[in-house]
Amino acid sequence: MNKTIELNELREVFLSAPESDSARILAISFSILLVATVLWLVRHRVLREEYTPIWMGAAVCLVVASVSFDLLNTITRLIGAWTTSSTIFFLGELFLFLICLNYAVRLSKTSLRLKNLAQEMALLKAQVEQIESDSKAA
Amino acid sequence: MKARAVLIIPAFNESASIERVLQGIAEAQTGCEIVVIDDGSSDGTSEKAAAEGAKVIRHPFNLGYGAALQTGYKYALSRGASFLVQMDADGQHDPREVEKLLAPIEAGEFDLVVGSRFLEPTEYKMEPIRNVGRWLFRSLVRLAGLKVSDPTSGFQAMNLRALEDYVDDFFPTDYPDVDVLLTAYRHGLRVGECSVHMLKATRESTLHGGVRSIYYVYKMLLSTLSASAEKRKS
Repeated sequence: MNKTIELNELREVFLSAPESDSARILAISFSILLVATVLWLVRHRVLREEYTPIWMGAAVCLVVASVSFDLLNTITRLIGAWTTSSTIFFLGELFLFLICLNYAVRLSKTSLRLKNLAQEMALLKAQVEQIESDSKAA
Repeated sequence: MKARAVLIIPAFNESASIERVLQGIAEAQTGCEIVVIDDGSSDGTSEKAAAEGAKVIRHPFNLGYGAALQTGYKYALSRGASFLVQMDADGQHDPREVEKLLAPIEAGEFDLVVGSRFLEPTEYKMEPIRNVGRWLFRSLVRLAGLKVSDPTSGFQAMNLRALEDYVDDFFPTDYPDVDVLLTAYRHGLRVGECSVHMLKATRESTLHGGVRSIYYVYKMLLSTLSASAEKRKS
């Protein structure tokens, strides 16, 4: 039997596919691992507390998305994707893009501070050397 | 006795030319306090400059040409200087021309004077590709309202007003060229120029060729456009 399926019907088939338990377990496990890693890094003073909210937020979002399949389905319909996995990839990419931009801004600020600090240090060192040379001459 | 102006020379691994440059400045009797800003050199530039009697400020590591210049501006401000001249350490700028740069600044005609190779015909020859770049940048700044014939010249003199503007965080750490002049102009500084003779640099600029030159053009275009968007203060 040769049956033609309309594209919209095909999309509906994808969207109404039952959620996979293994994917849910994987997502929750990854979230727990992410939270544990963040806490471990903070405890060992490798990661500063002010940089953790974004990663904790990502872990929470991942748990919410894996627990509430309906929410993920709604987002998939809203953004016009065909499958929930595409939505997860899309949101993941968006997250990485935003975090890169955020770090580029932070890096720019840090570079500026480092430059000002090095200049200040160079000027102070020159001043100290001048005072030392003046006191020797006196 | 307080010096007439502070003359800053940013230097990074310029041991081959720094002595000759400093001797040339001494012969020119500019009446300026000479300050070499060693931008993290590893070839003994500082020692050679100090041996020639220059004041030396050393960066703990390489920060970039722009940052070295800005350290000089900060030093001048901390010394209470009213005027500053900047020239390169590669021997390209003739110290006998310092007077020409400083005179209009001291007379109060301008806040910033750029030493131009192209205002009047000189024997200076620029490579065709660099000429294209100069033409491009000159056209861009002209569109933004600033008329300078040599916007990439590092031979400049300035007064306190310009100094106070240049120690701000907008000043780039790498290549302060056209974009900085345009920003200064937009900040309401009076930018002028005078004709100077320049010699060929003793060594090739690190900007020539390769990815750096592409980045330089990209960065200049971006920052020039950004500076053009600022409103000019009166």
